[in-house]
Amino acid sequence: MNELILNIKNNEFQEYLRDESRSVGQAESISFPRTIGEVKEIVAHINQQQIPLTIQGARTGLAGGAVPRRGHIMNLSRLNNIKGLRYDAASNTFFLTVEPGVLLTHLRQALQELSFPTATWTPESLAALNQLQQQGPHFFPPDPTETSASIGGMIACNASGALTFFYGPTRNYVEAMRVVLMNGHTLTLRRGQQLVQKGRFTVQTEEGYTITGQIPELSMPAVKNASGYYLKQDMDLIDLFIGSEGTLGIVVEAELRLLPTPRAIWGVTAFLPSEAAALQLVRVARGELIPDLQVPHLPRPVAIEYFNCKALDLLRKQREHNPAFKQLQELRPQYHTAIYLEWHGASDAELSQVALQLGEVIRACGGDEQDTWVATTPYDLEQLKFFRHATPESVNMLIDQRRQTEPRITKLGTDMAVPDRELTQVVELYNGDIAASGLEAVMFGHIGNNHIHVNILPRSLDEYQMGRELYLKWARAIVAMGGTVSAEHGIGKLKTAFLQEMYGQEGIEKFRAIKKLFDPQNRLNPGNVFPAGGGE
Amino acid sequence: MKIIVCVKQVPASTQVRLNRETGTIIREGVASMLNPYDSYALEEALRLKETLGGEVTTISMGIPSVADLLKATLALGADRAILLTDRKFAGADTLATAYALAKGINRLGTFDLIICGKQAIDGDTAQVGPSLAEKLGVPHLTNVQQIKEIDGQRIQCLRLTDAGYETVELQLPALITVVKDINLPRLPSIAGLRRALSQPVTLWTAADVDADPNHIGLQGSPTQVTSTFVPEHQRQSERFEGDASQQASQLVERLSSLGLLGPREGGLSNDQH
Ligand SMILES: Cc1cc2nc3c(=O)[nH]c(=O)nc-3n(C[C@H](O)[C@H](O)[C@H](O)COP(=O)(O)OP(=O)(O)OC[C@H]3O[C@@H](n4cnc5c(N)ncnc54)[C@H](O)[C@@H]3O)c2cc1C
Repeated sequence: MNELILNIKNNEFQEYLRDESRSVGQAESISFPRTIGEVKEIVAHINQQQIPLTIQGARTGLAGGAVPRRGHIMNLSRLNNIKGLRYDAASNTFFLTVEPGVLLTHLRQALQELSFPTATWTPESLAALNQLQQQGPHFFPPDPTETSASIGGMIACNASGALTFFYGPTRNYVEAMRVVLMNGHTLTLRRGQQLVQKGRFTVQTEEGYTITGQIPELSMPAVKNASGYYLKQDMDLIDLFIGSEGTLGIVVEAELRLLPTPRAIWGVTAFLPSEAAALQLVRVARGELIPDLQVPHLPRPVAIEYFNCKALDLLRKQREHNPAFKQLQELRPQYHTAIYLEWHGASDAELSQVALQLGEVIRACGGDEQDTWVATTPYDLEQLKFFRHATPESVNMLIDQRRQTEPRITKLGTDMAVPDRELTQVVELYNGDIAASGLEAVMFGHIGNNHIHVNILPRSLDEYQMGRELYLKWARAIVAMGGTVSAEHGIGKLKTAFLQEMYGQEGIEKFRAIKKLFDPQNRLNPGNVFPAGGGE
Repeated sequence: MKIIVCVKQVPASTQVRLNRETGTIIREGVASMLNPYDSYALEEALRLKETLGGEVTTISMGIPSVADLLKATLALGADRAILLTDRKFAGADTLATAYALAKGINRLGTFDLIICGKQAIDGDTAQVGPSLAEKLGVPHLTNVQQIKEIDGQRIQCLRLTDAGYETVELQLPALITVVKDINLPRLPSIAGLRRALSQPVTLWTAADVDADPNHIGLQGSPTQVTSTFVPEHQRQSERFEGDASQQASQLVERLSSLGLLGPREGGLSNDQH
């Protein structure tokens, strides 16, 4: 047996059988390649043995994508170099080349401190670094809440975060990547270089093998989306691989586009007296014109986030009883629904004007300028971030508590998004169903993109079942509204039934046709995206 | 109640970088902020005002741009903000700073209570508050964690000491310095920002406060820095390989070889059934 392949014995490597979805799988062996050469060697071994292969990044996924069904696990956490920097003078843009195992948090730290492992960098990379130091700080905009995610995992899931409202998802910042295919070849994809024209494409691997294919016609929802393959008749082939949840190839290197760090960042949490007022504020903030409402025009925020009254109630309780949340600001009784808005700008003076305009909007929506928290320093912004993270964290703590008496329940968290025009309807749908069912639930999330996480908090197994039924009902309703069943976490192994709701059997067959082109034996990440897709 | 809060601008980073050649703090590219301990002082003052009435004045000595910081204190609810700014104040140590602040406070007139943060996070000296009290001839108490009672005449505080707590009562007017646990500072609201727009920051020069040139700035600073250095952190890490139980026994062995664990026949080895 190949020395890179380690056997999974009774007690070893157990943690690699699960991810943050808390589902647990099975596997016979595992590897931790450190080079692309090793990745290829392992793929050759897999082919020889004809066993399924599951790819892992940092295993923070919430849909079980990195949980093996059986066979071999290739864990990429040690393929984690930051390999170089490129400066493109024409567009005045920097691109950082990384291996997939680099964690988002490490990438951020390196960019913040401008400290990179430059020993193996080329003179061009070093010159680019010099240029970067002169130009000032840059950042990588995708911002999933979980910063211990790996870049490979983020690309595989097309991860997004609060800032996606303005900056877009991970997809927008992947300029190029290298992918190892299941035939052992390496494919280099660079934006603008492998264009699909009228549905047809031809690409050649580095080893000289040509793949020709046809992109099936599919209508994707016009919303933030992480469900199924990205398919368009005129598209860039790199976009097919981004968000494909590791079912088409193994991302072994990526070139990421960086942006200059904004000089000024302001965040405002606004507390509105009702949900209706909060929804109106959201609509104004994202530029919708609302009849009979005279308000100043706000520049586009970079983030619009939401916390419903139940989420605030949960935080009130936590603040009172849990020392970990003592640092939360006081939530006054009149605070009903909260909206967090963030702006990036050239100066504090500019953003202070924006804040004053926002005040006018808040008043026009029926709120009070007094009921706001304005953060203008990294220190205060950190406080508002702590507040935002406190909601999901409180939910997880509560569920862990309840699992002690009923271990079969889990949190039921939705990840669906709808088009702008459906915002009020979808909130009504959730509120109505939750009230009618008597279930306990909190809602929060990326409301700018109409992407609300509903977290149902079951108190019993019965309630858990009820919650699951609601979840499926909502998936159907959201598909009917033109939305998506997963906007950011992906389909993985846990939501394949929802994907079927969204695209129907016909749609799934279209995805399968693409899958066959790159992985005809269905050996790579079996079980992801496709319902009942075994490795057999 | 007339309350004065002394505030200082500090670099907005916990990681102060030092220039290894000159030993001075690198301030370029580092944003600034209100000294965190001063934000607790301001919050306590605002809470006292909310319960007892009166007014809160913030005061700082610094470069002209510190006016922005003082504006932020107005947005939080201070009624008035004073900036002592003059080239002649430059290079002040803690004594010269305390003198300048005392002169500014004298010009303000009477007061009941002065609140300072326990120290500034850039210098960490904790000297300005007590020195200022001495210059003004009022009693002071450091490291206050709670104001237990206060009226027009006296203040009773819970004070943090190395050994625990003590309750101390002072006659007003007095000066206290506060620690982080005293409260959770509020964030400004948009309403506060709007209000602050129409409130100017008062600028006073050395002459405005009638400061003696021999007691301010570099000239008034007896502190001499003979040398500075960047402390070397000696942190060594060791890595244990193997499966979990192998790693655990290696760790136990290492810790006991360093004398950090009790004798081997203690609880640990007995646990191996
Ligand atoms: C508390 C919490 C908060 C979260 N918040 C967000 C959020 O705000 N936004 C968001 O988008 N997600 C969020 N997530 C989900 C998760 O962090 C993201 O999906 C992330 O992108 C997964 O990265 P990972 O490295 O952990 O991937 P893994 O979980 O290891 O893998 C995820 C999928 O990617 C595949 N994969 C990984 N690396 C590669 C590779 N190099 N090549 C091919 N396929 C690969 C795996 O096979 C798997 O299918 C959150 C998770 C948690 C636990």
